[in-house]
Order: sequence, then structure tokens, then C-alpha cells
Amino acid sequence: MIKISLDPRTKLFMIFAVSFIVMVNAVTPLEWGIRIVVTLIPILLLAAEGKYASAFRFTVFYGVALLLLKYCISESSTGIFSAILVGYCGIVAQFLPAMITAWYAIRTTKISEFMSAMQKMHVPDGISISLAVVMRFFPTIKEESSSINDAMKMRGISMGGGKVTKMIEYRMIPLMFSCISIGEELSAAAVTRGLGAPVKRTSPYELKMKVADFIMIGIFAVSVIFLITAKHLR
Amino acid sequence: MNENKLKAKDFITIGIFSALIIAVEFACGMLGFIHPYIVAAYVVLIPLVGSIPMMLFYTKIEKFGMLTIMSVLLAIVMFVTGMGWLGGPLIIAAGFVADLLAKKGNYKSFKLIAISHGIFCLWICANYFPVIVTAKDYRKNMLEGGYSAEYCDNLFRAINEKTIGVLLILCFVFGVIGAFLGKAVVKKHFEKAGIV
Repeated sequence: MIKISLDPRTKLFMIFAVSFIVMVNAVTPLEWGIRIVVTLIPILLLAAEGKYASAFRFTVFYGVALLLLKYCISESSTGIFSAILVGYCGIVAQFLPAMITAWYAIRTTKISEFMSAMQKMHVPDGISISLAVVMRFFPTIKEESSSINDAMKMRGISMGGGKVTKMIEYRMIPLMFSCISIGEELSAAAVTRGLGAPVKRTSPYELKMKVADFIMIGIFAVSVIFLITAKHLR
Repeated sequence: MNENKLKAKDFITIGIFSALIIAVEFACGMLGFIHPYIVAAYVVLIPLVGSIPMMLFYTKIEKFGMLTIMSVLLAIVMFVTGMGWLGGPLIIAAGFVADLLAKKGNYKSFKLIAISHGIFCLWICANYFPVIVTAKDYRKNMLEGGYSAEYCDNLFRAINEKTIGVLLILCFVFGVIGAFLGKAVVKKHFEKAGIV
């Protein structure tokens, strides 16, 4: 497969376009079509970057949710089980496109690429640095919390054993401890690399919009416009 | 003047705590699909659970702007995850007011910090605004989007123009209570360890 790497700015535009698209509700086949297309593109891009496993997982997940929504659930379904099922399928079908795009953008963008893109767009340092940290931190939080979970299990402190407050306390506090120490290391590393120095930073990554970028922006802009016209002409 | 400017280290702190808050929000948000009343109960859940990282964050604040930037980040994340842009300005406004209040006490006075945390927690309510402002469309969208009619009815019984006032007040009150809780937890664990 050919390797397509997009500019971070294109990815940002994709995120915005997709989160707009998922907010508009899909009813007609055309609207569903647009939605499925904008879901498939990031999946294909993920595959193009060599992330086959996550691409496959997302495809299966989305496909199952769509099928369930289409064939198994109607407005009149009641009961606790179907409520949960409907809830999860609803959220998957509605928000997964945005999640996939965000996942794609986070997974395939290097932090320094992101920073230099933000600098090119003249975003204030405060926002871009904090946003970069948030982006970087989600995988870390997940990792840390799963290892904390393991540690708790080893000590025999399992879910539901005891009070809810204890459950939260035993997980939150160690998580925060480790997050803080990671944060301290992170800021030491960042300061060493000259982050926060009062000069314009240079970057080893040359950012240039390529043909693929313009094609992607085109596709997403067109689907947003399509959706708006479809909504208003109805 | 230069002392008051935010440095790279502060930005990283903001990022870490925003990530923690968002993680708490998502964890609570997942519960909301079980029953719509839990969606309304976010105003109790999130301030209480989120207060622990928030209170630790408050101990790290020394300069103006950190809370405001955090609210901007929250607004961005809420937008990207599909909560709509209606809430965005409200979230930032809540963050800004909270920041001003806490600054008044120089980020040290606990009384003002508690009130400021209460106001900061109003960002949770901002996520309800699309539900209220566009109630009719939202309901139609949800039904077409595959939610059951039962879920919708319950959701709109819990969240409408009449209850939003109560929800706002509850959110504020539990934000203040959360501040006390968070303070106690921070004292119990972090001050002993010498992190604060």
C-alpha cells in the first residue's frame, strides 16, 4: 500500500468537519452515505499508515453497531437491556466517526509536527502546548490506570469489593501520583528542548500542503456542504 | 510583570489536569447510557469525583489564566467529541469567572477557591444547553438516531427549561461540597507525601 501522510492542519480540518457531520443527524440514505464515507476515509488512512489492527477493529465495531441499529432496534423497544444496547449502538454510530478521526490524527501525528503546525497557524503557545500535552496524555492515563488496576487486583482489592468511595479513592489517588510525576519529567524534558524560550522555534519537520492534503480537504468540505444543503432543502 | 507570565511548565500542568478531568468526565459519561436520570446526575457525580484532581490543580495555580486555558481546552474537547458549539462560550465564561474569583484570594484563600470550583463546575451544565435550546429537534434527532422513546421521555423529563435552574444550583452546590471533599483527600494523601 502507498504511504500517505497528511499535514497536521489537514487532520485538524478533518476533525472539525467530522465532528460537524456527526452532530447533524443522518436520516436519508444520502446523509447516511456521507457519514459512512467520512468514517471510511480515516479508517483507510489508518490502514495506509500501517495501523492495520486498529483499522480492522474500528471497521468491525462500526459495522456491527450500524447493523444492529438498522435491523434490531426500533423506537418502541423498551426495557433495560435494549436501553443499554440502544445507548451503546447510538453512541457508536454517532460518535465513532469523530473518535476514529481523532484517533487517527493523534496516532499519526508526531508532537513536534503538531507543534510546528500550531505555530504556523499562530495559535498562542499556551493553547498549543496544553493541547499537545492532553493529546499525549490520554494513552498514558489508560496505560497507568490499567496497571494500577492490576496492582489492586494483586492485593485483592477488586471492583465492587467494599464501598464506592473506596473504589474511586484507590484508583484515583495512585493515578494522580503517577500522572504528576510523569508531568514533572515531561516538563523537565520540554524545558531542556527549549520549549517556552522567548524565541521562534524551528522544527525539523517541513510542513507543506501536498496534493493529498488538498484532495482530503476537498472531500470533507464537499461532504459538509452536501449535508447542509440536504438539511435545508428538505 | 514577568513573574506573572505563564511558563511552559504551567502549560504542561494545565494539560495533565485537563486530561485527568476529561478522563473523569468520560468515565461518568459512559454511565449515562444506562438511564437518562444518570445524565442529569452528572451535576452531582462529576463535581464530586472531579474535585480530587481539581483541588490538586488549585494548589498548583499561582498565576492568572491557568483556569481560563483549561476551560478553553475543555470547550475544544467537548466540541470535538460532538457536544456542539452552544456550550463552548459558556464553558469558557465559567472558567474565566472562576479564574477571576480565585485570583481575588491570590489562589490561596480556601473560601474563594471553593466558590470558584463551584462556578467552574458549571461547565458540566453547559453540555445540557443543546438539549434545552433545541429540545424539539434534539428529541427528533435522538429518535431517528435510534434511541428508544422511553429513553427520550425520561431524558426530557429530567432536563428541560424548568429543571435547568435546579441543575445549575445543584451543580454549584456540589462543586462547593466537592471542594471540601477534594481538599480533604489532597490533605490526606498528597500533603503527607510532600507533593503539594
